Order: sequence, then structure tokens, then C-alpha cells
Amino acid sequence: MAWKNALSIETAITCQRMMSMLNDAERNRYGRQIRLFGEEGQEKLKRTSVFIAGAGGLGSIVSIYMAAAGFGRICIADCDSVELSNLNRQVLHRTKDLGRYKADSALDTLRGINPEISVENIVETINEETIDQLLQGCDLIMDAMDNFPTRYLLNRVALSRKIPLFHGAISGLQGQATTIIPGKTACLRCIFPRAPPDAAFPALGSTCGVIGSIQVTEAVKYTLGLGELLQNRLLLWDGLNACLDEVACLPNPSCPDCAEQAGKMINGQ
Amino acid sequence: MKITLPDGKIAEIAAHEVRIEEILRILNINPVEVIVAKNGRIAPEDETVGSADELKIVRVVHGG
Repeated sequence: MAWKNALSIETAITCQRMMSMLNDAERNRYGRQIRLFGEEGQEKLKRTSVFIAGAGGLGSIVSIYMAAAGFGRICIADCDSVELSNLNRQVLHRTKDLGRYKADSALDTLRGINPEISVENIVETINEETIDQLLQGCDLIMDAMDNFPTRYLLNRVALSRKIPLFHGAISGLQGQATTIIPGKTACLRCIFPRAPPDAAFPALGSTCGVIGSIQVTEAVKYTLGLGELLQNRLLLWDGLNACLDEVACLPNPSCPDCAEQAGKMINGQ
Repeated sequence: MKITLPDGKIAEIAAHEVRIEEILRILNINPVEVIVAKNGRIAPEDETVGSADELKIVRVVHGG
């Protein structure tokens, strides 16, 4: 029976490889980036499932560029409907989409950008009750939220599942980004021990463009093992003065979310 | 001690072995709204700073 089991596993692996191999249209579509990381890299993107938390300003940029890049499965969750005041920055949605669920509008846009990938639109609130189901089969979490309590939830789930969380946040012309890799970096709670006041924030679309693009670049690099990530580095964008800065982060051994992992990292385990 | 404020301006404070939370109180900055980097690394509020240290106070953004 052992040889039959081995054959089944090999068949499954072969099927998965065949499904992730590129067709001629994909080679053409991704040709300019295949020059950077080869067909093998593109196939890795095709095998990667991502969860995008939010289809607003950051979610628009993150989802559009991840779809264009060819991440094979995109799950995008948002419980809100499109409003007129969203349209200065939430480029997933058009004027004709006013009143539609953002997740539904996102599905149409992303499928139009890249019909080669799988897109799942989820009209759902991200909370303790729904998060496990929402993250089924996902390899990465893209933080496109607008509040820290939900970000902390994403952080805890990323830690428990040992999958990376790509954090981004904006306000007006300012933005921040960092990459959380459980067991290797400070977690989100290490960096931001307390949630800032949940006040209404100003928002310019191009700020979402800067930060969202950085998040996608980090996700591509992580998936393909390229370059240096924003590990234990908080990147700070000041659009008013056109300045990029960064500060270093360290795991907090007293962190309520990752204390055990933080202790191991600090002790070099 | 050189302190970079959230708006990018530079403040100078004569202080010796004072906790970061006290610096924020002196500057009338709500600690919940910011994180503070000491010599380029995020530091907790109960950490002390001296005259040779440089602080950067960063306003945390939360929008998306």
C-alpha cells in the first residue's frame, strides 16, 4: 500500500505543478516581470493565496497590483458599500458602483484586470467569529484596514498561523509600513502597543498609492525570496516633505501577543 | 537632547536621565497617539533618555 500512497502524493504534486505552470497568455501578460525573476518566480506567485483585509484606499492599491502581478488566488473582504466620499482614493470602485458592496465592485475590477487568477469577494465583517473561515488556505495577510483593533486581530491570527502580515496605514500625506514575519520580527503589537484614537482621518489617494505599493512589493519579495524586507523596520512616508525615513523595531519580551516568540528571538533561538 | 517632533521640527531639551513619558508630558503630546524612537530604535515610554540621546516622535497613523 505504501507504493500506492507514494504514487498518489506524486500525482497530486504533479497536478499542482501543472496547474501553476504558465500558459502562453500568462507568459505574455507577465513578460516584463518575468525578466526580473523568471518563469519559476511567476509560478510561485501563481501558487500563492492572499487575504486582503479591506477594499478601501489601501485595499484598492494592494488588490489591483497583486492581481496585475499574478498572485493566483486573491480573497478580498469588506463589509461596506461604496460611497461618494470614497471615490477620491478607492480606485477599485467607479461612480457607477455607488451603493454596491465594495467586495462585489472589487470582484468586477480585479477580474477585468486579470481573468487568469482566482478572485473571491467576501462581504463580511472581519472579527473573531469570522477570521478563521476568511483566512482558509491563505499564505499571506495584507493589512488594508482602517482601525487598529482589527489590525491587532490580524496580527494575532498571523502569529498563530505563522504566516506573514504586511502592515500599512495612512493619514493625509503620511504613511507607514512594515512586514511582520512570526518568529522572525517584532509583531504589530510590539511596535504599536496601544491603538491610537479612532478619529476620522484625512485621505489622499496618492498616499494610498505609495504605501499600498510598498506593501505589494514586500509581498512579492517575500514570496520570491528577493532583496531585503522591512523586517524589524518601520518605514515612514512624509508626503508633505517628500521624505522617507525608518525606525528600527525590536520584539518586546513582554508583548501580550507574542511574548514567547519574542523571548526566543531575543535569546537567539 | 535633540528631539524631532511629529511635524518634523526640532526641539532641544536640557534633560538628564528622564523617562520618555515625561518628555511627552513636557511637550504636551498624548502618548497614545505616538511612538518614540531613541537613537533610531522604537523605545518604550518607561525607558530613560539622557542628553546625548536623540529622540524622534512619530505620530501613528491608522487609516486605510
